[in-house]
Amino acid sequence: MAIAEEGIVRSELRWAAISIGVVSVIMLAIIYAGLVHHINPPSNIETIDPKTLHLTGEFTEPNLGTRVAADGQITSRIVATQFTFVPRCIVLPANRPVTLRFATPDVIHGILVTGTNVNTMIVPGYVSQVHTVFTRTGDLLMPCHEYCGLGHSEMSATVRVVPPGDFKPDSQGGVSCDAR
Amino acid sequence: MSDEPDPRDRPWRLWASVAILSVFAFSVLFGFVLLPVIQGRGAGLDAWTSICRALGIAPGSPAAPQPTSDAKAQPTTRVAWSAGLMEALARPSAAGATLASGCAACHGRDGRSVDTKLYPDLAGQSAAAIYKQLYDFKQGSRANPVMSAMAQPLTEEQMVALSAHFASFPVRAIAPVDLAAPGEAIERLVARGDPARGIPACNACHGDQSGGPVEAPRLTHQGTQYLAAQLRAFKSAERHNDIYSRMRSVAAALSDGEIDGLAAFYSITLAY
Amino acid sequence: MTHARNLTFAHLWVAFIAFTIALVLGVWQMWARSPLPAPFLTASTYFSSVTAHGTATAYVLTTFMVMGFGYYVAETALARPLPAPRWAWIAFALGVAGTLMAVVTILTGRAAVLFTFYPPLIASVFYYLGLVLVVAASWIWCVLMLIAMGQWKRANPGRPVPLAMFATVANAVMWLWTTVGVAAELLFQVIPAALGLKAEMDVGLSRTLFSWTLYAIVYFWLIPSYIAFYTMVPQAAGGRLYSDTMGRLTFVLFLLYSLPVGLHHLLMDPQQSNAFKFLQVALTALVSVPTLLTVFTIGASLEIAGRLRGGRGLFGWIAALPWERPMVLATGLAFLMLGLGGFGGLINMSYGMNAMVHNTSWVTAHFHLIFGGTVVIMYFAIAYAIWPTLTGRAAPSLALQRLQLWLWFIGMLVMTLPWHTLGLLGQWRRVATFNYADPIIAAWGPWVIVSLIGGVILLASGLLFVYNLLEFNVAREPNAEAPGALYATAVHPPARVPATLNGFRLWNALVLVLMVLAYGYPLAQFFIIKSPEALVHRVDERR
Repeated sequence: MAIAEEGIVRSELRWAAISIGVVSVIMLAIIYAGLVHHINPPSNIETIDPKTLHLTGEFTEPNLGTRVAADGQITSRIVATQFTFVPRCIVLPANRPVTLRFATPDVIHGILVTGTNVNTMIVPGYVSQVHTVFTRTGDLLMPCHEYCGLGHSEMSATVRVVPPGDFKPDSQGGVSCDAR
Repeated sequence: MSDEPDPRDRPWRLWASVAILSVFAFSVLFGFVLLPVIQGRGAGLDAWTSICRALGIAPGSPAAPQPTSDAKAQPTTRVAWSAGLMEALARPSAAGATLASGCAACHGRDGRSVDTKLYPDLAGQSAAAIYKQLYDFKQGSRANPVMSAMAQPLTEEQMVALSAHFASFPVRAIAPVDLAAPGEAIERLVARGDPARGIPACNACHGDQSGGPVEAPRLTHQGTQYLAAQLRAFKSAERHNDIYSRMRSVAAALSDGEIDGLAAFYSITLAY
Repeated sequence: MTHARNLTFAHLWVAFIAFTIALVLGVWQMWARSPLPAPFLTASTYFSSVTAHGTATAYVLTTFMVMGFGYYVAETALARPLPAPRWAWIAFALGVAGTLMAVVTILTGRAAVLFTFYPPLIASVFYYLGLVLVVAASWIWCVLMLIAMGQWKRANPGRPVPLAMFATVANAVMWLWTTVGVAAELLFQVIPAALGLKAEMDVGLSRTLFSWTLYAIVYFWLIPSYIAFYTMVPQAAGGRLYSDTMGRLTFVLFLLYSLPVGLHHLLMDPQQSNAFKFLQVALTALVSVPTLLTVFTIGASLEIAGRLRGGRGLFGWIAALPWERPMVLATGLAFLMLGLGGFGGLINMSYGMNAMVHNTSWVTAHFHLIFGGTVVIMYFAIAYAIWPTLTGRAAPSLALQRLQLWLWFIGMLVMTLPWHTLGLLGQWRRVATFNYADPIIAAWGPWVIVSLIGGVILLASGLLFVYNLLEFNVAREPNAEAPGALYATAVHPPARVPATLNGFRLWNALVLVLMVLAYGYPLAQFFIIKSPEALVHRVDERR
């Protein structure tokens, strides 16, 4: 063989350096996205007892759906349960920062909103929280994307993104699909 | 094998440790400190709060204000599930037998209803299902003139005892009836649901081996009229003690014909 | 070969039978999800099938393949009889008993929890006990591999352990570390719940424990394929292994970096923090390095082979390679699938992009391509390479072997490329029936059917694979090659290697350090924060 062992090791180390360079670029891209666009994975270690979720104030049935707080913060609260979302349809404005909060009284669920980067698991014992800004209007599909039992295939909700001008909270700050 | 460390190993040990510690230091610097602090500044949070949130010691995102809620609870049922309650419901109960004599007039001896048109069978019913309905009758989450009165005087222990007692009986054998076979569409709803309307298969909650909600009752061998009446009550929301609208949302999507078909199906099906 | 022949046959046949059944189920599942009406379809049958398919491919095919090939390597690479063959047969019996136990529970509908278990959904205790037996069998195998290597080292002081065995033992050591997570989850949480001893469980903790196992397990599956890349492919191509040292380093890097990265399967989960997810993402970036090294080293090794055969110019050596040999063909196809699947993996680990694909068909496409594609096509190649030495007959038809490999490659691309696209469009996972009346979903229908066709091609390939193996039994020509002739020599075979590349003491210590740093707090937090527990939901009994 024409090539000596040191030559072989050197070529391998050169390639290893290139490989590490490539993955470093990926890590830098992740850091960039984190610093400039505030992109984080949906982590929010906020515990809540699933067995008594239906007895809480925040996740009581009439409080679910989109609400605008006194300080203008837009939050939508959704319960994922075997095998429906409550409410099945939520309204959110485009081009405004919104927060979605999910909880479940029973098993593991998960959601994604088609065409967006809204994606989170919903784990019993925790409140899942996602921050986003919707850029396009329309009716988006929000299915349950994690196996939650035999009814998983039929579990789906709608996210209705409306132009900010059409987003009109009622006297309690709530906005619901039925009003449209 | 000699006991002295091989000198050729030293550079390996050194570089391996350096590599691992560098990766860790890089991650701590960026993931634990820099990212949360810089993100937190944009959200008006101080550095300590941002870092605690990034570490998961405090709830919330390091990059956004945390929503608060002062909403008042308006529960549709006041049952509070717990492991202790589930364990108690699974234990056989002697006290339940004594108490059950008060139920025999309608629900029959051994939990077999004297008139399935009006009163459901309790024999072999899920203990959690019976407990929840008793509790809801007592608290007023579910209204029925007779049952609300019957449940009023019951204590928690008595409700648990009764539920465990009736659950321990074998399910009634089916008497032959001449009901027409429900047809393929109904069987499809039972086993597959309807994705177009977001209706899960009934079996997904009510079937054996389903893993659905703990209070989902078994529906088999119940009277057709009773089952249909409950579905209609959920559909109109007149009955609303189901947690998070699980039954209300399903019943609202069913047609009248489907309600009758499903009620007929379950009344003639023993095991599912 | 003393004991390995029968052991390897037994293990590999169990693996391939489970695999064939899994293929049939897989095709039915794709049919069920398509717009075409499928028979026997209910929610219960679909999810039981998914559980069976996952259990057969992820636990049975893989474990038995790793064990069977490991026994083969232990005897042929070390040129000594396997120590304690009786224990190897005990392990086989445990593994088969466990498999049957699990299968019965799935067939009776008492285990629709999918192979990743979805606590607090809890199946029949016999499903989990069945898997425990399979893992226990694999642990016996690990011990036997460690003993075999130790015996060889004592008989050959100062000499480098043959690379194929070094890699096999690296896999065994890694597997012992890997199974800690799922063993803890089963022993302390799931099995007590399945026995009715606990009515509630901490789901965040069980998901985190399972994540400990779930990534490293894919390296347990893929190391046999990488052993083939390093130790068999250069030989089959008529060349030499470019660097034995880098080969050892690669397997060491897998041992180190496949374990402290499991949280990247929980990037979208609420119960773990940003900071530790970032740490484990950085470590995940490092686990791509050994694969990149492998592509380089094996590429260089193949280049040597190509140039020895007269290939000229920058790329002329590629055409000069003996592509008619199944091992070489499989490697080429494997590398193509590795390129696509590996790229998908880099996307998955970046949590910003992960948010667009998590739990969509993209993920399903990714692991079918990288595992079902790259890894399993090399399982086929390994089987074809060692069958002559196991049966004593020469391969009856290399053309049919090549056809089977091409069908697998084509089927895999036809199946997974549309799946990647559907995932980007938002198609989500674990669905028995889609609502094709919805216009968004209706647009996906044709692609789902294309994927189904890919699945059918894969089934045909799988059946042809079994046929090709059975054909050896009626082949006429005896096998001329000794088992040892399968293994490649390095360009500069090392006379000695440092102890760190001949054993695992340093690496075990570093794995411990890494796991404490990466998983220490993420697991401890469940005992500090006291997360509320969820009620158990039994899928195996009447309410």
